[in-house]
Amino acid sequence: MAVETRIDAELPQGVGRLSTGWKVFILAALAVLGFGVFAYWYESSNGMSVTSLRSTGTMGGATWGLYVVMVEYFIGVSLAGVVIASVSRVFRIVELRPIVRIAELLTVASLMVGLLAVIIDLGQPIRGIKNMLLYARPQSAFFGTLTLVAGGVFMTALAYLFLGGRRDAARLAGIPSRLQWFHRLWASGYTDSVEERERHRRVMFWLSVGIVPLIVVALSTEGLVFGVQVGRPGWFGSLQGPDFLVLAAASGLANLVVLSAIVRRSLGDWNRLDADVFKWLGRFLLVASAAALYFMVVELFTLLYATPSNERQLADSLLKGPYAWIFWLSIGLMILGLMLLISQAATAKWRIGTLVVASVAISTAALAERYLTVIPSQTHASLLPYETGSYFPTWVEFAVVAGLFALGALLIGLFMKAFPIIPIRDDIIPTPDEEVEATANA
Amino acid sequence: MTKYSMAVDLDRCQGCRACMTACKIENNTVQSNFWMYVFRFEEGAFPETEMSFLPRPCQHCDNAPCAKVCPVGARFKREDGIVLTDADRCIGCRYCELACPYGVNYYNWQKPEKGQYDVVDWHDENIQTATGGAIPPYRNPDLDGLYGEEQRRTAGGGHAKGIIEKCTFCVHRVEKGQLPSCVDTCPTDALVFGDIDDAESPISLYLRGRSSWQLLEEAGTKPNVYYIGGKPPNKELKEIERPKVTV
Ligand code: SF4
Ligand code: SF4
Repeated sequence: MAVETRIDAELPQGVGRLSTGWKVFILAALAVLGFGVFAYWYESSNGMSVTSLRSTGTMGGATWGLYVVMVEYFIGVSLAGVVIASVSRVFRIVELRPIVRIAELLTVASLMVGLLAVIIDLGQPIRGIKNMLLYARPQSAFFGTLTLVAGGVFMTALAYLFLGGRRDAARLAGIPSRLQWFHRLWASGYTDSVEERERHRRVMFWLSVGIVPLIVVALSTEGLVFGVQVGRPGWFGSLQGPDFLVLAAASGLANLVVLSAIVRRSLGDWNRLDADVFKWLGRFLLVASAAALYFMVVELFTLLYATPSNERQLADSLLKGPYAWIFWLSIGLMILGLMLLISQAATAKWRIGTLVVASVAISTAALAERYLTVIPSQTHASLLPYETGSYFPTWVEFAVVAGLFALGALLIGLFMKAFPIIPIRDDIIPTPDEEVEATANA
Repeated sequence: MTKYSMAVDLDRCQGCRACMTACKIENNTVQSNFWMYVFRFEEGAFPETEMSFLPRPCQHCDNAPCAKVCPVGARFKREDGIVLTDADRCIGCRYCELACPYGVNYYNWQKPEKGQYDVVDWHDENIQTATGGAIPPYRNPDLDGLYGEEQRRTAGGGHAKGIIEKCTFCVHRVEKGQLPSCVDTCPTDALVFGDIDDAESPISLYLRGRSSWQLLEEAGTKPNVYYIGGKPPNKELKEIERPKVTV
């Protein structure tokens, strides 16, 4: 078979071969990461006073700023990957199989940088890691976030990635290359016997079924970090959890579209991501962003009817005050993204370029929404008559955050040269028909 | 059981902020951190304006949201009602600050000795020679002690960079049988402190027969600071000035 010969001849999908484009990309990512590390070092040695963060109350600041916004954003993005992977497995959506690994990788990478952002935001990062292990309190939503998100989703996503890749790893382990040791390690004795495949299929299926409720709980808890705060107008409310979840789905899917499009371009001949994959992603994104826009509109109406109190002050800051440009930008971008998706769905013509533009708009809108969740309630919604405050990140915060993005990109870039990012063998036991179809496609 | 509380008589408070100064000296708090803060409000339009004052220490809430959200138990409420921060356990997440509706928490954004209060350099040789190494910087050694049954470093702990701090009801003084520094200093005796569960304590006697209210009672935090006279603040009140110093 053609596919067999090709695999035997060389590692697939450019694995192990470092192209010039890839080297440039890695160098650029390293440079940005290096600058981020420098900014963090500068911050650690001088104190967080080099950021724009300040205490609330008499200092009139925001004590949680861009770092916490990024925690919310990255952890939100991680949701879509693992959900898409489970949905494709549980419902056996064949069209989504090529992006299952990209989705899992997006989850792992975004969770890693999201959790790193949590640590970066701590005043005592080392003590933070130690004390979270020694004294973690289950009653704190912060604890809920960290343990559930980190422990549950991260481990499951890793297990997904590992188990889902073992069949491919077993194939690659037989090909002599510089990476053979890595592929052998990943395969860890897997031989792709019928029993093993069946066992894998069962484990993956139950992992897929189990992860969805875990994610819902974990990400709702993330929203509740804010939702249970009685002392801060704009935060307290039962909608924070669901709102967080919906926006997470939209931003996660948007990132998945962009990442898949980049992978598609970079794989050249090895590309297996056809229009069908993007059509599915586009439909999911359409539903998620419509729901996200619904929440945004509901929020807008609530703000318009805010009583003349602390909520009013907060509402004014969003509708016509210092945060208005971000507020209206986020709504505008979300509408733009949604319109592009609707127009594609209506004509049943899914163009990858347009989908990417829509995704970038939706992802940016989600990031802006996160910013508006975290910041204005601190500077403009005090229950006591403190003067209003202000916050806008400094170069240090922007540099650290750019470093986090670069780290995520680096992880994915390195992975692509170590392992095929698109499964060469589907991890679900294919039916004979599927096997024939897969071979024909390849 | 002992339950330490404070009464603030707004009919007596003259807004002199001596309590704020006393707190700063006692607890050596850094620039722009005000564990005790006195609002100076103005209300109405000229010429019908009125001034009022509102001292705002930590309310040492019974249902303290700050303690509930702390992920590592650094913020906790003692048996005797005082809400404290363990300087050795705090990880600097600032979640307590956001959970508190009163804005009483202060984070140490940088090393305290870095230009705080425009003291050129706390370790400057000339300053050390001129002052015999005492003032400045004066550092209250009691702040580093271990307090309570728990024996935790909760009196302020030397204001390390990257951790949170707030009013401790001067736990280091209370444990010695003294009054919190602000209470001790107030020239008009507007602040009264004591065990509210003891019917004969100064605070119980003071509150007896007087009507009092609590700050943001509706937030359900069950604060342990009782205000007498005046009225709860509202959004019509404007702060006359905001502290200028910042980090
Ligand atoms: S006033 Fe704020 S810091 Fe003090 S006990 Fe109440 S919630 Fe905690
Ligand atoms: S800043 Fe310190 S005391 Fe406050 S919640 Fe975080 S760990 Fe607890």
